Amino acid sequence: MKPIAAVERLRLKFPGKDTLLFKDLSLTFYEGEKVLLLGPSGCGKSTLLQVLSGLIPNSIDVPMKAERLQLPTNWGYVFQDPDTQFCMPFADEEIAFALENIGVPRSEMHQRIKTLLEKVGLFIEPHTDIHTLSGGMKQRLALASVLALEPDVLFLDEPTAMIDEEGTKEIWQTVKRIAKEKTVIIVEHKIDYVLDFVDRIVLFNDDGEIIADDKAQTVFANYKDIIASQGIWYPGVWEEYTANRRRRSTESGGEKRIYLRQFQGYRSNEVKIRIEEAAVHAGEWIAVTGKNGAGKSTLLHALMKLIRTDGTYELYGKDSKQLKQLHRLLAFVFQNPEFQFVTNSVREELAYSLRLEKRKEAEITETVEGLLRQFHLYEQQDQHPYQLSMGQKRRLSVAASIVSGQQIFLLDEPTFGQDAKNTFALLELLESYRRQGTTIIMVTHDENIVKHFATRRWVIEDGRLVKDESISRQRSTAAALFV
Amino acid sequence: MKWNIRYRETWLHQTNPSLKLIVLLFLFLAVLFIHNPNVLINFSLALLLLFMFSTGYPWKFLLLLFLPFLLIFVSTASSMMMFGEGETTWFRWGLIHVTEESFLRGLHIGFRALSFALLGLLFSLTTRPVRLFYSLMQQLKLKPKYAYSFLAAVRLLPIMLEEFQTVHNALKVRGTVSHGWLEKMKRYAIPLLSQSIRRAQRIAVAMEAKRFSSSTERTFYYEIGFNKHDIALVALFAFVAAAAYYTGVHYPYIPVTDVR
Repeated sequence: MKPIAAVERLRLKFPGKDTLLFKDLSLTFYEGEKVLLLGPSGCGKSTLLQVLSGLIPNSIDVPMKAERLQLPTNWGYVFQDPDTQFCMPFADEEIAFALENIGVPRSEMHQRIKTLLEKVGLFIEPHTDIHTLSGGMKQRLALASVLALEPDVLFLDEPTAMIDEEGTKEIWQTVKRIAKEKTVIIVEHKIDYVLDFVDRIVLFNDDGEIIADDKAQTVFANYKDIIASQGIWYPGVWEEYTANRRRRSTESGGEKRIYLRQFQGYRSNEVKIRIEEAAVHAGEWIAVTGKNGAGKSTLLHALMKLIRTDGTYELYGKDSKQLKQLHRLLAFVFQNPEFQFVTNSVREELAYSLRLEKRKEAEITETVEGLLRQFHLYEQQDQHPYQLSMGQKRRLSVAASIVSGQQIFLLDEPTFGQDAKNTFALLELLESYRRQGTTIIMVTHDENIVKHFATRRWVIEDGRLVKDESISRQRSTAAALFV
Repeated sequence: MKWNIRYRETWLHQTNPSLKLIVLLFLFLAVLFIHNPNVLINFSLALLLLFMFSTGYPWKFLLLLFLPFLLIFVSTASSMMMFGEGETTWFRWGLIHVTEESFLRGLHIGFRALSFALLGLLFSLTTRPVRLFYSLMQQLKLKPKYAYSFLAAVRLLPIMLEEFQTVHNALKVRGTVSHGWLEKMKRYAIPLLSQSIRRAQRIAVAMEAKRFSSSTERTFYYEIGFNKHDIALVALFAFVAAAAYYTGVHYPYIPVTDVR
């Protein structure tokens, strides 16, 4: 086999960091290989892809040194964030941008754009606003515009990290279809759909050193414990997790907390969510599921009254119209934790709501200390929230939201983009609150969460609550409650 | 959220954006040198007709868009009328002093502001940024580096607006009460800016990853040339200018030819 990309004795250091990210790393990739780079977040896998493509140091200025570098001439790169890959507003224009860059004559462009879209399974009108596509579709469009460059080597840098289950599946099906002849180098944390596609796995540790480099099945079989400890989503991770878990009690039936009747939420004067009748009790964990755009987030926004609502909405038996400060009764956690941070340190972030409520300093300190320990943020208490890792940011945003002691949590896909370890840690924390009687209403796409954590499921379709079922009794009698 | 207002493509959409830009910029300057209010009023009315009938947008939207500019018209005109200098007093009350001269001058300045606004609206309503920058690259030899950077930035705007809404909601659920605009600015600006800077950097890298560079010869997806609509555009504005001048001089509404 002919080598197509290689680094020898690579040394690289990020400005401002004390230690080298790579110290004398050597790695060779061969023509036609499908390689998966695995490792804990922050170990430098994405950086390595950027070095191999030449983006470092040509586009991103990072000091590096290597004894020998062999870079592929024809390559394509798909990035993690579907919203920051495009510079044009419409799908056809975006693919055309790539075609223009390599000097494809104008007369050939329309045909090529059509073919490329079909290749990645996007059956849309070419002149479609990118803003209206789902995340999975955007990533496939990114793939199409990369294929326009006719690359021999494809670099895929966690292309599904911000994509839901269904989109993830579609993306990998597409990659499998189009990349048979190509060399593919992948960084990914969710490897369910990747494992049968790659033929080689390179496993890194925290220090950016290679601890294994072999056939995929061999590495996966021999290093499973390490892979698990790195928080990677591998096939069977849920089964292993639930096997070691205590049986949970799913009893609920505490006091009635929320009562809705003919409850409607509006966005720009249109009814976007409607619930005929529903009651929610203490100790319930409701998973809100449904397709993209069905109105799941809108339901949470309506409950929090971030949008205009009408109909009956009672909290603790009181009409919600008479309750001024909803945020003292309901905790709301957004999908992107960064938007929620309002102070400059982890400790202050937790104390923020308590200070607004003018609680006593001693009480604030006590509550904050408790939460810091419970959410494993004690070491980071003086850091700026933005400097935390993905998992820490998520835990902080949850802790800061629930600090006032609310008994109802509204969470909008809180495990989105989190690795396995952090997801389980967060779910455990939430479960411990539920056992003490907290009500949890959580939007999720993950069937495993519904199965293993929720006590009840609401299915939203076209802005309507169409199914309300209890999970605890699902095995014996699937009880559909009032709908 | 709805960002795209449906519109009908009119002939103004099909003109060459660079030419349109130059013609409208020229008119912009020309308006500065009109001192006869009759001419200016005629010119503004012609622009208003174009704005209403040739931009292809629904009435409700046009009206909504026009409101703030109407406000500018009223405020600039009235402040000049009430506080400007003049000799023939019509009305005096405290600081307010309306004279014939100040009234006419106010009217003139109001119409000038209005025609500026209409020229700007005419251009922006009938020009897609993508076509504008392709034309600037092809006709005025703008470097692709700048053109595509601008286009990428345009793409970021709606994302930023959505984020603004998210930050607003996030502050609300934390029970935040901001005192003073400085504090409010800080609360919104820091998360929005930090996200935008990161985004901009990522987009730049993604563009270079797609072989975008200034050194190679590039082709264009949209070839923007000239057509009959461009001739119509130049002819129309030449006619409008001439007609406004002729009728303004020969059939005046106000017996004043120079407000200076």
